[in-house]
Amino acid sequence: MSTTSSTPTAAEAELAIQARQAAARSQGYWAGVWKRLRRDPVTIVCALVLLAMFLAIVFAPLIAPHDPYQGSMLRRLRPIGTENHILGTDELGRDMLTRLLHGGRLSWFMGITPVFLAFVIGTTLGVLAGFAGGRVNMAIMRATDVFYAFPSVLLAVAISGALGAGIVNAILALTLVFIPPIIRVAESVTTGVRNLDFVDAARASGAGAFTIVRVHVLGNVLGPIFVYATSLISVCMILASGLSFLGLGTRPPEPEWGLMLNTLRTAIYVQPWVAVLPGACIFVTSICFNLLSDGLRQAMDVKG
Amino acid sequence: MFFYLIRRILYAIPIALAVGFVCFMLVQIAPGDPINAIVPADAPGDVVEQVRRDYGLDKPLPVQFGIWLMKVVQGDLGRSLATGRSVWSDLSSAISNTLLLATVASLLGFVLGCILGGLAGTFRGSFIDRAATSIAVAGVSVPHYWLGMVLVVIFSVQLNWLPAMGAGPGGSADWAWDWEHMKHLILPAVTLAVIPMGIVTRTVRGLVAEIMNQEFVTALRGKGLTRGGIFVHVVKNAAPNALAVMGLQLGYLMGGSILVETVFSWPGTGLLLNNAIFQRDLPVLQGTILVLAMFFVALNLLVDLVQTALDPRIKRA
Amino acid sequence: MRLRRFLLTACLAALPALVAATAVQAQGTIRIGMTAADIPLTNGQPDQGFEGNRFTGIPLFDSLTMWDLSSADRPSTVIPGLATEWRVDPNDRTRWIFTLRRGVRFHDGSEFNADAVVWNVRKVLDREAPHFDPRQVGVTATRMPTLRRAEKIDDHTVALFTSEPDSLLPINLTNLFMASPAQWQRFRDANPTAEAAWNAFAREPSGTGPFRMARFVPRERVEYVRNDAYWGDKARAERIVLLPIPEANARTAALLSNQVDWIEAPAPDAIPQLRARGMVITSNAQPHVWPWQPCFVGDSPLRDVRVRQALNLAIDREGLRTLLGGMMAVPVGTVPRGHPWFGNPSFQIRHDKAEARRLLAEAGYGPNRPLTLRVQISASGSGQMQPLPMNEFVQQELRQVGVNVEFDVIEWNALFTNWRNGCQHPSARGAHAINVSFAAMDPFFAMVRFWDSKMAPPVSNNWGHFNDPRFDEMIRVARNSFDAAERDAALARLHAAGVDEALFIWIAHDVAPRAMSPRIRGYVQPQSWFVDLRLPYIQ
Repeated sequence: MSTTSSTPTAAEAELAIQARQAAARSQGYWAGVWKRLRRDPVTIVCALVLLAMFLAIVFAPLIAPHDPYQGSMLRRLRPIGTENHILGTDELGRDMLTRLLHGGRLSWFMGITPVFLAFVIGTTLGVLAGFAGGRVNMAIMRATDVFYAFPSVLLAVAISGALGAGIVNAILALTLVFIPPIIRVAESVTTGVRNLDFVDAARASGAGAFTIVRVHVLGNVLGPIFVYATSLISVCMILASGLSFLGLGTRPPEPEWGLMLNTLRTAIYVQPWVAVLPGACIFVTSICFNLLSDGLRQAMDVKG
Repeated sequence: MFFYLIRRILYAIPIALAVGFVCFMLVQIAPGDPINAIVPADAPGDVVEQVRRDYGLDKPLPVQFGIWLMKVVQGDLGRSLATGRSVWSDLSSAISNTLLLATVASLLGFVLGCILGGLAGTFRGSFIDRAATSIAVAGVSVPHYWLGMVLVVIFSVQLNWLPAMGAGPGGSADWAWDWEHMKHLILPAVTLAVIPMGIVTRTVRGLVAEIMNQEFVTALRGKGLTRGGIFVHVVKNAAPNALAVMGLQLGYLMGGSILVETVFSWPGTGLLLNNAIFQRDLPVLQGTILVLAMFFVALNLLVDLVQTALDPRIKRA
Repeated sequence: MRLRRFLLTACLAALPALVAATAVQAQGTIRIGMTAADIPLTNGQPDQGFEGNRFTGIPLFDSLTMWDLSSADRPSTVIPGLATEWRVDPNDRTRWIFTLRRGVRFHDGSEFNADAVVWNVRKVLDREAPHFDPRQVGVTATRMPTLRRAEKIDDHTVALFTSEPDSLLPINLTNLFMASPAQWQRFRDANPTAEAAWNAFAREPSGTGPFRMARFVPRERVEYVRNDAYWGDKARAERIVLLPIPEANARTAALLSNQVDWIEAPAPDAIPQLRARGMVITSNAQPHVWPWQPCFVGDSPLRDVRVRQALNLAIDREGLRTLLGGMMAVPVGTVPRGHPWFGNPSFQIRHDKAEARRLLAEAGYGPNRPLTLRVQISASGSGQMQPLPMNEFVQQELRQVGVNVEFDVIEWNALFTNWRNGCQHPSARGAHAINVSFAAMDPFFAMVRFWDSKMAPPVSNNWGHFNDPRFDEMIRVARNSFDAAERDAALARLHAAGVDEALFIWIAHDVAPRAMSPRIRGYVQPQSWFVDLRLPYIQ
């Protein structure tokens, strides 16, 4: 769960290099990235799996065979492969396939929203810190250090534990967890870019700070930060479902993979394969996001 | 370098203070009057007023923080709402249990990660590399509380080989390094070790590959240096970074064991936190988070210092 | 382990010693997995609801009156405990005379007498007493709201005074456990404050109960040994070990991997597996109610009796029983049919969705004006059974008659606190009903605290602010009936009226499932929340 900040210094250094390389990119850069990606079957497969999942959960109401909330006690905890219920039924006799499809919506939402929010906020603060330098940098980065002093799981549990259970509180807590690492990356990339010649040149030619940030800095730093952020999605999904597992996230009867895993725990003696399905969904999604992020990093980084 | 060390140590002080402030704020951000977060709901009015005065809850926030900080520095983390015992008395035994579990798990993860990462880095691009990398990715991607449940079903319930819960036949109070106790440690430690294993594998693989590609290794190899010689060289160069990763992982496991401890009823800080959340026992929540975060700050400092000492090439501005 | 090592030493030392040791071993150590997240308080007034009384109250301490837990076939009744007899003063019906049992000693050797009784009443009711402990008040005073003070008559006789005539006092007194004043005083002399003395006492408690505490590891385990000097029938088990294991699956796994011999409340879905592995599943009717308690004020749609009756009719409780693997009883009121307090209600609680729809339509709800209810529930908690799946089930059932239910899931302790705050308090967050399960073994717990307008928050648990002078009058009559038959008749009228008014949505009775190793013998599961730990032993 703590891949995010295992070696912040190493990751930053690498990303700073990437930024410098990015600065030297020609128009053929994206073509090159695409070309490298196409030759990487693992990344392509992961992207396709995620795309298929995404479409499936977006269109869940259309393709799901049953009502996610309606069940029957008479056909509860049916095994995988039951007629009409390909993936069996849960402890209230609701169709597992339907619940998993609908559950994916909330799980993905809780996995991506905090990272997206943290991406927006963290990039803004990080670029600001990197570009402004001086006291602003000092203030932002020292505040970041404080949150870095908490292991990520602990911080998420602490904040949502204090605020109380609920989706909004969980998202708030997770966003707070992911802002500091993104600030660090954004700041180091921006600092790297800022000192490059073409930014100096732009400044010399009289461009305003805002234009420089918009045209030169953001164009060059968003890519690396984006890649970094995709690697956080997997962590965030596991953390979010972990919060639900502890009773701090989603509330029933909303389907959500972490909560489903929690409520199906008691069925692990009766229908172990049905009971582990939500966990498997989290696992597959998380592993795909991880591999996709690795693939993207390699494709966008010439160093490969 | 000496000045770096001094500065690094001095810098830890404001960080520690700020971490304390964040922990202090946990009770403030809880919904409702903070007084309700620290006295039992059925406490008589005069008790409530007494606590309100003790903690200066009628005074401005900075003053409250000061009062709270003074208490904390003196070792007074408040009282549990649920049991009335001092938070510290429960926390001290829980911390040693978590430290035990986290140390064993991170050692396990470190050893496995080094083996897998070393193999993968040495034989880059081979089948071994792909297998090791897959295990590493799986390790960081698996929801480990789920893995813990699966392990319990297999090894405790079906095979009846290992106990499913607890810290030994007599509880953690008479922990001993004998088989009866150690078998309680196996499942939670393995479950907790998968994440550091994945991370260490990735790091070591990268480090080894990088070192192996360096020109002088190629040169050494050209000179006919034995595998053993190259191995020593690689270890020497990779050790500082790998140790740093492992040190931080210990800290993450200390703070991140809540789910695994819950699954295995391991009587550590994670279970304490879980119970505190479950019973909405904010003094315990706050005290536990504070102590764990302080531990993490100290560990970070230590890792930095050791890393600097081991590898003087690392330049610190 | 330690015992085994001890046995080994004994074996080496002398053969007769071994024989003696195995003879003791034959009675054995019973290891019990509790549902509580922590060991209930051991200071004499346990927390954690009745699971606390069951495991850290009754085994260590005695009360003046006690429950008879020896029979599985009939509802438990109140029997003499540390008091051998009691009567109300015919001239002053707020004054009760209790005659105390002679020759009883606390675990520390000091004598149990009238002074000890007065001391124990003062510990929760007299703010001026040096040993007054505010922390014990909450769990005690609400269970005996009319008790005011105690007075010594002679060494073996005390008088207890109530605020109003209250025939229920002897039943309520089963909740007042007698702790040793001498033991506490010893700790008080060594500690700076009374509170510290109580904390020390909790680590080394001294009562008169059939077990003495031998070992206490906070949050992990507590161990009792048999009190061989017990005044009544002595326990058969040599040693009892209690472990808090709040998670149902962890309890099941602990039993299956032989880490404990007995677990409370196994997960219903694990019961077939437990049976297949030779474990014994016990259950019995229990005075327990798992309801939705309505809010009767403000804009609550549950003010309308037709809506309350409709909800009672809409739920397929047999289906719920299937969900729980058979581990519940179907309620027809707060007490079962045939109980002395059941009475003759005209409204029959049953499953009849058509009638439910009709009543809802009559109350003005239908497809054009759907009814939406907000219910506060917990995700877990002692006595709450399986709150999430059960509430989801009810939600599904009600959807079929056109009622939408929204849940506000909060922590168990918070829910329990809210229960005393009432439905108009901000903590209710606009809920129309609350799902707190309760014990119904005595009239106060079963009915009075919910239906008496004087019991509205913050006094007791009339969460919905129910206020009906008819009910207040019925309760007054019952409290003033000191003749048992007369009192039962009054209570039956009260209960029947409560059912007719559908003052609860009665959903389930728990049957207290337990799973235990086949090696446990002699166990009796009474029709009670409690268990007599003196009876079981291990083979």
